[in-house]
Amino acid sequence: MNTHRTPTPRARLGRVLLTTLAVLTALAFLLPVLWLIASTFRTSTQTFADSGSIGWHTLWPRDFTLDNLASAWDNGFARNLANSVIVAAVTVVAGIGISALAAFSLAVIDFPGRKLVFGLVVLSFLVPFEAIAIPLARTFSDWNLTNTITALVLPGLGNGLAVFILRQFFLGIPGELVEAARMDGAGWLRIFARIHLPLARPALIGTGLILFLFQWQAYLWPILVTTNDRDDLAPVSIAKTFNAFSTDYGRVFAETAVLAVIPAIILLALQRHFVTSIASTGSKD
Amino acid sequence: MSPTPATSDTTRTTSGPSAPRRRLARGTPDQTRRRRRTLRDATTAALFLLPALILIAVLRLVPVVQAASDATHSSLPGSALPPQWVGLDNFTALWHSDTFWTSVQQTLLFNVIVNPLQIAIALALAVLLTQNLPASGLWRTLVFLPAAVPMTGSAVVWGIGLRPDGPVNAVLGTVGIDQQPFLTSPHQVIASLILIASWIGVGYWMIFLIAGLNDIPQVYYEAARVDGAGPLRRFWSITLPQLRRPLLFVLVADTVSNFVLFAPIQILTNGGPERRTSFLMYDIFHNSFELADPHTAAAELLVLLALMIAIVAVQFRLLGEAEDR
Repeated sequence: MNTHRTPTPRARLGRVLLTTLAVLTALAFLLPVLWLIASTFRTSTQTFADSGSIGWHTLWPRDFTLDNLASAWDNGFARNLANSVIVAAVTVVAGIGISALAAFSLAVIDFPGRKLVFGLVVLSFLVPFEAIAIPLARTFSDWNLTNTITALVLPGLGNGLAVFILRQFFLGIPGELVEAARMDGAGWLRIFARIHLPLARPALIGTGLILFLFQWQAYLWPILVTTNDRDDLAPVSIAKTFNAFSTDYGRVFAETAVLAVIPAIILLALQRHFVTSIASTGSKD
Repeated sequence: MSPTPATSDTTRTTSGPSAPRRRLARGTPDQTRRRRRTLRDATTAALFLLPALILIAVLRLVPVVQAASDATHSSLPGSALPPQWVGLDNFTALWHSDTFWTSVQQTLLFNVIVNPLQIAIALALAVLLTQNLPASGLWRTLVFLPAAVPMTGSAVVWGIGLRPDGPVNAVLGTVGIDQQPFLTSPHQVIASLILIASWIGVGYWMIFLIAGLNDIPQVYYEAARVDGAGPLRRFWSITLPQLRRPLLFVLVADTVSNFVLFAPIQILTNGGPERRTSFLMYDIFHNSFELADPHTAAAELLVLLALMIAIVAVQFRLLGEAEDR
């Protein structure tokens, strides 16, 4: 194998250059986040004083303060954050269940019209939710769902991409396993729970991440179905703070930083899994 | 084999000339069992699919029907009278509306630039981060991170960052470029939004392309190397053709998501300056709520849907043809 051959000096230089490029690119994507975190721990006067000219202190506060975080807390941001976490958690759990069941029957059980149903699911995904959010909000208001957790969670549950990814993964599970289990008299639900779910762990992580990101990113739908500040999701509350206090950005930075740090921790924890999971299942046919 | 009572298994005990006739008349118990099994399977499949199908009906079908109904009715803002059927009047009104055509034009302009740009960068990053470099996973995660920051947060941070006294202008200042207005200039606002949207989106699409790259069998590259093909040649002759499906998926998904981009516009530009960022999605929201005209908004929304579907169809055609060649 040529992986064992000793690299030529030229090849080694190439790898050093590529690694440098990768590090620089990653840092370029990270810079705004670093600036955001630095600005969370300083007054906004200092933020602008130290950002007007670039220096070490653009990314590292001269004087650390927790005032911005305290201000966010005092203004009830914790409640909005809790709303977001609850909505995201319910969505991930219920969404995985619904998508996995659907994907299982589309991949494993043989029934007439399977292709058609699968096409319907994929096409529904091609229509992005935001495009129909405005008329749907009118319907939800007629159904008295305004200001409910149900209204906030529902759109996140119907995710065609999640079904697609899980089906793709289930298709890769050998049919002999299913046949053997059926011979032993196992029902479909048992096969699903004992064979497919445990084997699909990487795909489930990827799916969970996609469902989570959908809700964590949501903005248009929450402003359509929520009418009081207490029930607002965290991103909506940030936008409101931004528009209301356009001279003091400290609180905006603090709130955004909290919303950025939570997924960052999740991503770093799942680092090894998430790339391979979305990765190995997302886009094959 | 376990000794089963002969009566429990009729096929095995039946013999003689009567058997074929019976098979013709009622089917063997084997076939009956298979048919019953198929029926039971179909029922199970339906039960498993039910929650997803109900959601699709509620979340996709209902709103399209609602939009179609809204678009073909009209009422005076604030009027208590029930909306009146007006047929296609709302669409004709759109056709003659300058603001609508500005929105179409700006939406197309934004998308024609942003989608190829994002996919090209995502592809370059995907190729770079699949070269077995040290700590690749970490660099991937960092590039992906902006996709996990809520878009409102990203919009707000970039909005502040792009201010005249913000850090971006400070960086430009160090290389001797004058202060730029970015989001408040009609000539720079689209480019600024492209920058923000790409910072958010590129890492997300990169992950799907990394997936596709990992699926390309290494033997192709080995063989090409033996034949003396250089890196560029390998990229054009192996990577790109092998990556067609993931590329199609990412291109379609990216396009539909950029067509409905909303949060940064509502938060940062409100459609301005000079209506340059009054993209269809924002204009629909604006008509529906700020102008309290859900009927015009619904008509515009159906146009947006049609436009999106057309673009998706064209992309499928283009990539399909490329595959035939």
